[in-house]
Amino acid sequence: MTNYRLTKEGEEYRKNGLPEKNLFELLQKDQLSVNNIQKKMKHADIALLWLKKKKIIQEKNGEIFLVSKKMEFPEQDALEKISKGETVNPDILEVLFQRKLVQRIYEEVEKLSKQLEKKKVSELTPIMLKTGLWKKAKLAPININVAPQKIVSVGKSHPYRQVIDDIRKKLIGLGFVEARGPLVEMNFWNFDALFMPSDHPARGIHDVLNVKNSQDGKVLDKQLWGRVEATHENGWITGSRGWGSWDFSFAKKLLLRSQGTALSARTLSKLKKEDIPHKMFMIDRVFRSDVIDAKHLAEFDQCEGIVVGEGLNLKNLLGYLKEIVIAVTGAEKVRFKPSYFPFTEPSVEGLAYHPELGWVEIGGSGIFRPEVTLPLGIEVPVLAWGLGIGRLAMIKLGVNDIRYLYSDNLKWLREKSLVK
Amino acid sequence: MPLITYNKKDLQKLVGKKLGNEQLEEVVSLIKPGVEEQTDSEIKLEVTPDRPDLFGVEGLARAIRNYLEIKNNLQKFLSTNSTLEIKVDSVPIRPFIAAAIVRNVSLTDDVIKSLMNIQEVLHATIGRNRRKVAIGVHDFDKIIPPISYSGVSRDSKMIPLDFENVMTLREVLENSPKGKMYGNLISSAKLWPVFEDAQGIFSFPPVINSERTRVTEKTKNLFIDVTGLDKAAINQALNILVTNLAERGCKIEYLKLKLGKKSEITPNLQETVIEVDYPYLEKMIGVSLSKKDIIQLLQRMGYSSVINGEKIEVVIPPYRADILHQVDVIEDVAYAYGLNNLTPQLPNVATYGKALELERTCEKIRHLLIGMGFQETINFVMSNPLEQFDKMNVSREKVVEIQNPVSENYTCLRSWMLPSLMKILSVNKHVAYPQNIFEVGDVVLISPEEETRTKSLRKVCGVIAHSKSNFAEAKGVVDTFLKNFGINYSLQPYQENCYINGRAARIISNKKIIGSFGEVHPQVLENWEIEVPVASFELFVEDI
Repeated sequence: MTNYRLTKEGEEYRKNGLPEKNLFELLQKDQLSVNNIQKKMKHADIALLWLKKKKIIQEKNGEIFLVSKKMEFPEQDALEKISKGETVNPDILEVLFQRKLVQRIYEEVEKLSKQLEKKKVSELTPIMLKTGLWKKAKLAPININVAPQKIVSVGKSHPYRQVIDDIRKKLIGLGFVEARGPLVEMNFWNFDALFMPSDHPARGIHDVLNVKNSQDGKVLDKQLWGRVEATHENGWITGSRGWGSWDFSFAKKLLLRSQGTALSARTLSKLKKEDIPHKMFMIDRVFRSDVIDAKHLAEFDQCEGIVVGEGLNLKNLLGYLKEIVIAVTGAEKVRFKPSYFPFTEPSVEGLAYHPELGWVEIGGSGIFRPEVTLPLGIEVPVLAWGLGIGRLAMIKLGVNDIRYLYSDNLKWLREKSLVK
Repeated sequence: MPLITYNKKDLQKLVGKKLGNEQLEEVVSLIKPGVEEQTDSEIKLEVTPDRPDLFGVEGLARAIRNYLEIKNNLQKFLSTNSTLEIKVDSVPIRPFIAAAIVRNVSLTDDVIKSLMNIQEVLHATIGRNRRKVAIGVHDFDKIIPPISYSGVSRDSKMIPLDFENVMTLREVLENSPKGKMYGNLISSAKLWPVFEDAQGIFSFPPVINSERTRVTEKTKNLFIDVTGLDKAAINQALNILVTNLAERGCKIEYLKLKLGKKSEITPNLQETVIEVDYPYLEKMIGVSLSKKDIIQLLQRMGYSSVINGEKIEVVIPPYRADILHQVDVIEDVAYAYGLNNLTPQLPNVATYGKALELERTCEKIRHLLIGMGFQETINFVMSNPLEQFDKMNVSREKVVEIQNPVSENYTCLRSWMLPSLMKILSVNKHVAYPQNIFEVGDVVLISPEEETRTKSLRKVCGVIAHSKSNFAEAKGVVDTFLKNFGINYSLQPYQENCYINGRAARIISNKKIIGSFGEVHPQVLENWEIEVPVASFELFVEDI
């Protein structure tokens, strides 16, 4: 490492060229009067001085012209090298030193050292750290009430995402495997496979959003469709009375998935004996024919899951529901009450105790009806549960308008503190 | 789910015991309905659709009485046979009918109100807005037999309820409020369904009754007609109505339907028996129960039963049409036992939890973009063609369209995400720039080979909006992004009208297009009323 560094002037010449080099280049094009030279460039006097010293210009009738068309300026290279900390020819260095284009670093250090003794400084600088001079430095105290520097672009995850991710991790921790299914769904998976009759009110145009495409969905597993048909018609081997009818063409129609349970049906249909016991969950979008307001959305996320295993019973259902509600809400007390879902029997609603809101309905659950599981090829009990994560997120975010969960309000997103 | 308000004075009288507010709330929610609110005079319940027998105050009172084991003198419903016959013609537009006479009614205001209430709820629920089931209630003493049910021409005449003058059925459909509401259920048929007596039409189901047979406080005997498309459903509705009235001490009278050569007795109040497997019941609830326990629990839910070895024969009352399978009875046993009396128990089922690989990738994407200073947003998958295409300066393409949209803002599913982010920029113009935002979310594309003829795909999209945003900045983000995921890529010039010509690129990896980025076209910015330059990028997550 060299002990030299460029002075301010040296740095200027390094960047813009030595004045004599610049003048030499001007004169290569044409001869010029001194007046003209002064108009055309900075540091004209210095340039003239050095070119004269090198004896390559002459003056005739007030005009300056070059004696030789060729000239080298090794000093220019040297400036570049010094700025990069490289070594240079000592003769040239001496010239640069005389021209005050370089200075010895220790001179600067001495200067700084004197300064530091005299007065307080406001900033800690790299040179202080490099030279150890920070030991002498007296850093002036700062008013801690100074306005904070504004950080406009803070990268953050969406508050609702923080809630969702938290729930995901807890469910994975409880042994559930995450799953995902199509947003456009067949009536078959959304309703028929869940033993909801063709004329069930929840299948009406006031509840679900149907797809306006000419094509119906594809029947992939004809045998499964046959079992579901028989179950609706007369109960098949499930021990049920059945609904007495089934509408095949309706089952093929497409809609926007209206309940996550469609994915539970899909999951069960693919489950092999060796996959049991199995626990699955999903957090994903569903769609409803609702007018959007503070309490309703036409598109929202559902969190649902199933537990498939030999010998599972109602007490186990309560056990899982309690565990899940406690894990997800942090509530200490959980209570159960009767409920109704078209595809579970018995059905149970879970309530969590919230210190300010009292008992809050937080999750629905039940044991899938045999009319659901047997046609899907599952002979063991299946516990099913779902959480109202929209409601839960609203409580956690302290908002009373569900639209915040999908907010386009950038200011709110930026200012909202992290979710606990 | 129907929200129903019950008169508490009437309810207490029918239960035969005064219950405090808390006790009432508790017993009702143990049976099933959810309590919405309660005042001194009324209780409002959310009744689940599987229990239409609880839609009326009488049925609710019966359930409470059973649950609390309150004895009452009406152990069986009073009923007799009448000689009355109804001649039934074939009426294809409304093929099924059921009817009953109910005698000795005492129609106070409360009773009339509750009768009208339950009719309305039954119409809305199991009646599917009168399409599947429609109910008419008449003053029986105003009807002069013989009674018939048949299809008649639309020029036939009647005086509809709440009118003074004679009208043709066609005029009823055109001019009466009920005609306008329900006429479409029958208007396609050539012959329209009516009940007639010696004086002419007295009921025009599913539209309206006649003024002549109007039910008033003075009415002593009722004639109830139920018509519809589903025999089980009309019987269920009629059974609920007549057994409810029987709870008030009224007498049900059977009558005969003459269907050509066949005849049928209506109402059909026959009890059915379902066999419940004793060990299955215990296994499913997870407790062992003595025979006595089971019989008592069943009784408290309104069932009588006999136990034969491993079989429990359970008698289903005629108003409980929701029992399809023994599990429906088992649920009631569990409710009678009390869910909060069961000990929650986690079984020893060892499984490993696992996140979806796709979601793990999405988490990494979010971390990376947040690290680069981007704010995450979450948007709807539903959109509309104006935002998806027109405002983006691109031509309309085939997307998943919604047949019955609720709002013109949400008529299709998005096939790309940039419009969602442009929308956010457009409503946040007053917020400090730079606005660097992103979303990881789903789009849905048409894909005819798939089971659902569509494909739901995960994408990541970001926009960089500030006075100096440009191609190079977007490229910087994309390059950092892809390098961090270890993806080698090349670029191709991309000509698309949403970008400035010559300032957009396609991202190619493994010979596949995995995304694009560029400077958004000023026309697009103008369409969204955005006043700073915007650079954007959008990639398929499944390819990362």
